[in-house]
Amino acid sequence: MDVALEKKLRDDETLLEKNILVTNIDKLLNWARGHSFWPVTLGLACCAIEMMATGGPRYDISRFGYEVFRASPRQADVMIVAGTCTRKMAPLLRRIYDQMPEPKWVIAMGSCACAGGPFVDSYSMLAGADKIVPVDVYIPGCPPRPESLLYGLLQLQFKVSNPAKVRLMKHGK
Amino acid sequence: MENKVLKEQVEKLAAQVNGEVEEIIGELVLKVKASYVIETLKGAKSFPNIPCDFLHDLCGVDGVDHLEAVYQLTSLRGPQRLRVKAIIDRENPVIDSVTSIWQGANFLEREAYDMFGINFKGHPNLKRIYMWDDFEGYPLRKDYVTEPIEVRNIVRTRIEGE
Amino acid sequence: MTIEKTEELLLNMGPQHPSMHGLFRMVVNLEGETVTKIDPKMGYLHRGIEKLAESRTYSQFIPYTDRLDYLASPHNNWAYVQTVEKLMGLEIPERAEYLRVIFGELARIASHQVCIASTALDMAGWSAWSYAFRDRERICDMYEMTAGSRLTVNNMRIGGMSNEPPAEFWPALKSFLDDTPEMLEEYNGIFFGNEIAQGRLKSVGILSKELAENLSITGPCLRASGVNYDVRKAEPYSIYDRFDFNVPVRYGCDSYDRTIIRMDEIVESVKIIKQAVRDIPEGPIMAKVPKVIKPPVGEVYHRVENPKGELGFYIVSDGTTKPARLRIRAGTFINLQMLPIVSLGWKIQDVVAIFATLDAVLGEVDK
Repeated sequence: MDVALEKKLRDDETLLEKNILVTNIDKLLNWARGHSFWPVTLGLACCAIEMMATGGPRYDISRFGYEVFRASPRQADVMIVAGTCTRKMAPLLRRIYDQMPEPKWVIAMGSCACAGGPFVDSYSMLAGADKIVPVDVYIPGCPPRPESLLYGLLQLQFKVSNPAKVRLMKHGK
Repeated sequence: MENKVLKEQVEKLAAQVNGEVEEIIGELVLKVKASYVIETLKGAKSFPNIPCDFLHDLCGVDGVDHLEAVYQLTSLRGPQRLRVKAIIDRENPVIDSVTSIWQGANFLEREAYDMFGINFKGHPNLKRIYMWDDFEGYPLRKDYVTEPIEVRNIVRTRIEGE
Repeated sequence: MTIEKTEELLLNMGPQHPSMHGLFRMVVNLEGETVTKIDPKMGYLHRGIEKLAESRTYSQFIPYTDRLDYLASPHNNWAYVQTVEKLMGLEIPERAEYLRVIFGELARIASHQVCIASTALDMAGWSAWSYAFRDRERICDMYEMTAGSRLTVNNMRIGGMSNEPPAEFWPALKSFLDDTPEMLEEYNGIFFGNEIAQGRLKSVGILSKELAENLSITGPCLRASGVNYDVRKAEPYSIYDRFDFNVPVRYGCDSYDRTIIRMDEIVESVKIIKQAVRDIPEGPIMAKVPKVIKPPVGEVYHRVENPKGELGFYIVSDGTTKPARLRIRAGTFINLQMLPIVSLGWKIQDVVAIFATLDAVLGEVDK
């Protein structure tokens, strides 16, 4: 065996003894990203109250490490579109999304953000937030319960930490 | 009892402004032409003993061949209520603004302008309140056709400063 | 010699702003930190509910009313179904009336709790926020037992109530009512007794009695300006004439009174619910209503005392199953008119506090 390789393997072993894991940097970053989202407070309508309740004492979103709601999109990496997005608001929603730094994800919370909800045939509505920004997780409900929002965030966590797996699941394999 | 006194007053006012008085589900309704609206509302505001001096609501109604501005008047000092309807020409929807009588009519008139295209003459800031500035049409009119969803899905361009 | 002067600054607040309670936007002209002009802009949540009503049947429209003032949804249902009942001349059973009062007053408590919480939050008082939200959860639980949803309750129908509260509702209600004095004590201690809160709210944003009347202000904002007017007393709808309660009035006309009057209202609501629970009769909860609701030709206006202001519905019926015109008189939309007037001359951070005390809910403002 090559002397250099043998030396490296020996080094790895000593590292393991010191409780050090070896992984690739992507995995580590994905793990870190998925376990501490910083959502931007984009409370649009009724769902915002349920989003506040999720942050409240009973449902306590900080159990999962997602409690850092940022007012500025520049500091956030996930946008929870909580509520009805109207045509008047649409370009501004896009602008907030554009201001967020990469990598970024979007959760559509509530039926209005998913597909227009009960208001879809109104003159001032468009059919869901996915016409403006790419949506990763859809949470149905009018409004969804706080548990649903937590479940949606955990689904996003799964998606972020396992990009390859999610891609396979998407194609039905 | 109260209603009887009010009715007398309203009929007296109606005679002055060429209006008609009706009673619909326990409420007095006074219909006038648009040009008399200021006179009517000022008269209602200064009814002796039972002034209808609180502008509770103002809204537009599309009556297909004409438009209406409906004023709901109440008072903080008694149970009197009066509904004044001003009939507005559909082709040329102009009516005097009542912001000089009640400052509170400001947003309400802007809303009626936004939704029905009623022009309130003398309003300090008559602009669209709900829809964006370059929106076309008056959505609450009966002849407004809602655009199909494919058109509505196209995101409008942001107005500078928004 | 040149005079040094602060340049006027144009500040755009909102629509996405943490203190704007949703999608409200205002353009503020500032001289230094002092406000010289405010231009409120709304409509970012305008969903066109009034137009939608014209293509929905009378019963189909009830869920939409939930989404107006979503912090007090039973009240909106109540206002709407009462308007239709008035139009049709329906009598509804006693028990349903009592249940409506109980749910309406619970909603008032929940709404005022959120108002106190968000006023605290806008002044960076996180702990007061979490206390009020903790207690609000108990009301949400009661909604959930009865209707299955936590926020958009939708348990009122034209002619009565959709369902009877389950057996576990009554003990939960009783324990909640028993705990309210303690809760209010806590809010007093953590928020209203706080020196910073008092300093930032007291004698800020004066709304005089005459101005309030001229601006068509209703609800707690009007009563905090020294006007003793409450639709529940002035023009008792439903069965409010049977209960013994006071209308809290405050004379300070400032932000502090506009907030603390909600505490007094919670006390009165608890009184009303206690009487309603004591007097509630047995019996049916739904009147005999035709399957297809077809009110006669006519028009009706009805208003109720919403927690945030008077909510009115004006329905013009043309004798079909759908209303020809449905107008929503939203209390907070009209109350918002005071914002550009009363905040002139105050500092920018006071404007945030004044806006919070208005307790505007953009679902109702924008419709």
